[in-house]
Amino acid sequence: MSRQARLMAVRASLAVLEGTAGRPVLPFGDARVDDRLPGGGLPLGRWHEAGGEGMEIETAAAASAFVAALAAPLAERGEVVWIMRRDDLYAPGLAGLGFPAERLIQVCVRDEAAALAALEDALGAAGVAAAIGEAESPDLVVGRRLQLACERHGATGFLIHRRLFGGETRGKGSAAATRWRIAPAPSETAPGEPGLGAPRWRVSLERCRGGHTGDWIMEKSNGPLPLRVVAELGDRQLGAPQPWRRLAG
Amino acid sequence: MATERGVRRLTAVDAGAAALGLFAGQKAADALALAPELVTAEADPAADAAALLELADWCARFSPAAAMAPPDGLFLDITGVDHLWGGEAAMMDDFAARLGKNGLPVRAAVAGSPGAAWALAHFGPDRAVVSGCEPLSPLPVAALRLSPADAAQIARLGLRSIGALAALPRDQVGRRFGPEVMRRLDQALGRASEALAFRRPPNPWFARAAFAEPISVSEDLARACGDIVERLCARLEAEGRGARRFDLAFHRLDGVAERLAIGLALPGRDAAVVTRLFLPLLERVDPGFGIDAVTLGAREVEAAAPRQRSLSCLHGKGEEDLAPLVDRLTNRLGETAVWRDEAFPSHAPERAVKRRPPLSPSANAGWDPARPRPLRLFRRPEPIEAVAPIPDDPPVLFRWRGMAHRVRRAEGPERLGEEWWRRPFDRADASKARDYYQVEDEAGARFWLFRVGLYDGPDPPTWWLHGLFG
Repeated sequence: MSRQARLMAVRASLAVLEGTAGRPVLPFGDARVDDRLPGGGLPLGRWHEAGGEGMEIETAAAASAFVAALAAPLAERGEVVWIMRRDDLYAPGLAGLGFPAERLIQVCVRDEAAALAALEDALGAAGVAAAIGEAESPDLVVGRRLQLACERHGATGFLIHRRLFGGETRGKGSAAATRWRIAPAPSETAPGEPGLGAPRWRVSLERCRGGHTGDWIMEKSNGPLPLRVVAELGDRQLGAPQPWRRLAG
Repeated sequence: MATERGVRRLTAVDAGAAALGLFAGQKAADALALAPELVTAEADPAADAAALLELADWCARFSPAAAMAPPDGLFLDITGVDHLWGGEAAMMDDFAARLGKNGLPVRAAVAGSPGAAWALAHFGPDRAVVSGCEPLSPLPVAALRLSPADAAQIARLGLRSIGALAALPRDQVGRRFGPEVMRRLDQALGRASEALAFRRPPNPWFARAAFAEPISVSEDLARACGDIVERLCARLEAEGRGARRFDLAFHRLDGVAERLAIGLALPGRDAAVVTRLFLPLLERVDPGFGIDAVTLGAREVEAAAPRQRSLSCLHGKGEEDLAPLVDRLTNRLGETAVWRDEAFPSHAPERAVKRRPPLSPSANAGWDPARPRPLRLFRRPEPIEAVAPIPDDPPVLFRWRGMAHRVRRAEGPERLGEEWWRRPFDRADASKARDYYQVEDEAGARFWLFRVGLYDGPDPPTWWLHGLFG
């Protein structure tokens, strides 16, 4: 067998051993992003984190928009539950991002512990395809419980880091499958056109289990996929990144 | 004692005073002359009525249908619950014993109609259990709860007992004494129905469990809750019905009842689900010296067809649909904590969204995705300072929470007028319209600003920030 074939066989058996073979994913549609994620897309059936900096820590607007755009295709497969501590989510805004806002179940809780408990409850219920929760950083134990809840029915969880009155949210280690940091980016329109273009975000993948990190500018698109990659940022690597995992994720 | 028309009279006497020959209505001067060592207290009808109300609530441990019969009586509808004590006589004895232990002497009677029971309790032998109207005959006419004028009239004609009155032909009695007397007679004999004002509406879906030893440990409370829920749910299932509200009450030894209630979005009768909804609430129960009875009532009972479970529950642990999740969250966090949004036609953006319960079907069309709306809308718009070229251009610079933002791109204005139909017509004001702008600053963050007021109006226009886009 040639060396390539042997390498492919080893990779396939590795994928089977670690359980990423055949796991459903949500592809971004662009090789620059999908090659960095294990399985070629955002892993479903696990939970992910998204956060911001500065004013975003308190308002979490860009991170919520990014998560809403990602979760829009999941809303067709089941129910989506959004758990928040301050009920300032505006449904027509979600509708403008392509998310079916009249199907969203919203839950308003009083404190952090109730938010995490409700998120775990929603992820473990049948019929729920995705659950989005706004909380501060959970610790490892809570993260493990969220993962177990996701695995019961294959729901995907999204945790948006939000501290209602500002402050630092920089995390300790967590059990999330991926961790994203979202910041707004200036939008562009076709030359000569007035007004605003499609909203753009600077998206950086800070942690990814089984994948690589990366930095992109993404834009909300009106096509079949919710997001379109405009540019790739970050350190230039000497070669193209290999689509198999390194030892430390 | 109370003062009636300037004369002090006795309103009530206890057994010891009655033995000395005192009676209610006697003049205080005569009473004190007969028994100088009499201990008197001022009559307080309001406190008496409040105490009677409390007693009616306490009786919920015996039967959920308790009504007051002022000034000093109670009606208890024990249809269908007496078997829990092993018979009507046993239930009445238990009731009287408990009240006696609390220091209240009581006369009781069980009969087929409220009128007959009242008559027997006040004028008949104590602890009588009767059915039919024969035993009512020897009772005096005052047992019919007549007005004093009617009673005096009947007495003048020499009719002294109910039996004598009932023996007369009906039409003559009606013509001679009036419809009121006929109604009271029929109520006593069980021929006419009587409407009682129950403290809680009578509920046939009721289960009760009493314990030989009072319990107070939380595991015992949980087990008692599970057992009684199973019993009531088995009854609901046998009749093909489900309920939306379950009320559980733990009755303590000192008479206080700890009440818990849960609600379901869809009528249900699954004992496991209902018990699981009660369990987190059990922590709030304070057992005091012990709990000796637990009662469960089901309200809003509707027909509920048996639900076919899907095949996948043969492999997994049993599939739930969305209703159990919504029930768990609603019962834990509150009724208003879980909702879905629906569109409401309104100009003002803060009113364009209305909340509805998550499982109710939606009728409205959605929102217009072509109009730009922010993802986060502040409950109150925040004031900002903005610099904008007049008359209609979007601002070039604004200051929010102490930070200056230079505007790179903007869209607008979108004028949202005032809803003139909400005020009297002559107070409609065109200058209250808001001009909304969607602006993007140099970092890329997007804001939804609006300006209230026109530039050439009497007041300078004010700028506000209403929401943030993603």
